[in-house]
Amino acid sequence: MDSRQLKNLFDYLGKSWLIFGPKEIKAGGGERQISIELLSDFDKLVWDERLPFYSFKRFFVPEAEGLFKYRNEKLLDEPAQSDKIAFFGMNVLDLRSTLLYDQVFREDVCYQQRRSNFLVIGHNIMPNLGPAVKPQVFDENMLEHLSFDIFFLALKNSIGREGARDYAVFAGSPKGQKVLDNFGYKDYIKVEFKGLVKEGLIIERMQMLKDKLENHHSPKIWEELGKRCIECGKCTIACPTCFCFRIDDEPALKEGEGERERCWDSCYYQEFSEVSGGHKFLDNTAGRIHFWYFHKFARIPKEYNMLGCVGCRRCAAVCPVGIDIKEVLRNIEQS
Amino acid sequence: MQSLYQTKTAKIVKITEQTENIKLFEFRFEQKSFKFSHEPGQFTMLSLPGFGEAPFAPCNSIGKNLELCVRAAGKLTNKLHTLKIGDKVGIRGPYGRGWPIASAQVKNEKLKIKSLEGKKNLLIVVGGLGLIPLRTLLSDKDRFLDKDSIVQIFYGAKAPEEFLFKKDFDKWRADGIDLQLTVDNECEGWDGCVGLVTALFDRRNVVSDAKAFLCGPPIMYKFALKKVKEHKFKDENIYLSLERRMHCGVGVCQHCAVGSSYTCKDGPVFQYSEIKDVEGAI
Repeated sequence: MDSRQLKNLFDYLGKSWLIFGPKEIKAGGGERQISIELLSDFDKLVWDERLPFYSFKRFFVPEAEGLFKYRNEKLLDEPAQSDKIAFFGMNVLDLRSTLLYDQVFREDVCYQQRRSNFLVIGHNIMPNLGPAVKPQVFDENMLEHLSFDIFFLALKNSIGREGARDYAVFAGSPKGQKVLDNFGYKDYIKVEFKGLVKEGLIIERMQMLKDKLENHHSPKIWEELGKRCIECGKCTIACPTCFCFRIDDEPALKEGEGERERCWDSCYYQEFSEVSGGHKFLDNTAGRIHFWYFHKFARIPKEYNMLGCVGCRRCAAVCPVGIDIKEVLRNIEQS
Repeated sequence: MQSLYQTKTAKIVKITEQTENIKLFEFRFEQKSFKFSHEPGQFTMLSLPGFGEAPFAPCNSIGKNLELCVRAAGKLTNKLHTLKIGDKVGIRGPYGRGWPIASAQVKNEKLKIKSLEGKKNLLIVVGGLGLIPLRTLLSDKDRFLDKDSIVQIFYGAKAPEEFLFKKDFDKWRADGIDLQLTVDNECEGWDGCVGLVTALFDRRNVVSDAKAFLCGPPIMYKFALKKVKEHKFKDENIYLSLERRMHCGVGVCQHCAVGSSYTCKDGPVFQYSEIKDVEGAI
């Protein structure tokens, strides 16, 4: 598919879907930033190596969502409503995090309802994460281990020719096929999702980190990080795989009515582990930062057989005290 | 697919004051066809929309109405304490893994014996509210344990008026349960043991050939574990019910995570050997 056809697909989808995709915006201080925005104009779409500042998390797992309206003691089962959204241009790192959401919330009606209205369109342009990080290289074998409806693979000879790229097109689901068929593009390749990556370097590294964490090879690391971390919780907001939540009730003005909501929480916050009577099981910063790493690199691997980190480095980018996940992982490995 | 967080409406049918700020609530479910059943040591989520949800362990006898024993300690529980007979709450659950005894539904003799895995007797060490998740087991002892199993309870409370389920004590003793009580400080009208629950280990003969079930405030475990271990209980014969903050109750929200396990799903009862090496578990 060439860029002109891609634009046509964009316009075609815009007739029945809200299209969200990476767009350049002016952030605070006049800085330019890539953000996931509602798009009506194909020319504003950014498909390059710049990583969106925030991930697609809030679309899949919103910062706050109503689970029920309530009236007195009853939680009212009203059919959930959600928009039809097409994510036009999800990079491979963010695509990986959707695999986690799909597993964590597999039995969650609100999530499943919302998810069923999504069309996920990925591309293979790997984010450039700065000079200190070796860029990850896209490999076509990754495709069968990612979850998407449609995927665009920029053909090598066309990369660099901004605006005039050619793409190989893959359909990863019946929904993706249907969209392409109805659009009138037949030249796509079907990819069957083969499940999570089961072997290779990434799995070896996952096992090694899990073992080190479970057997506390490295208590000193947490003591040291506990002195630096100021528990602002920014990393939990920026991280695409942080999904901890609270369930809160928001009373309405009318007596006995309101909404039960699920909201993002952060394991860095004091009350995260507090029980009746005031006891906190995570009672210091070192314990809380350990909890964060343990979740991603031991608990998620044990529960879902995948890493709880997609390697996007958004946590390091937002950390006000310069804690760099890459260094921390290296220290764990060497412990 | 129904929401994981939907509750069933239950009406309060009886309220019994246990102590100054602890009440025992009995509930009847609105939906007549629904039969609540739980296994000893599991928990339910009690919901009062507008005031939130929290986990509580059912303590009723098997087959009877759901009973929850609740201390007024926060927003939800203070509100619950203002409710009257006929008022309604939401309940979901039961959740989690309870005490390692035969399933309440299984009345098979062979399974009962297997349930304590070679140990004949049971030592229960509880402090304060920790007795609550064991009441179902104690009220129906013969259903879960062998007839000749000795059950010994070490139960500590702050003061004599803080003991829960005092009305059950005579029945338990008549059923052959060796109930040993202690209070934190000397006080008028109390001539029993004085000291923390651990004091009983030094003043009573501790049952042998037994498993130990521990449940109490977070601070109790370290000291109680030391005592049971001094009495040669092996790690795999010690079980603890952990308390943690819970929001979802179904192993998703992460609040109750202990190492790689969830208190709500893999617990709340853990074998000591499963968690002894997990940082922060005890």
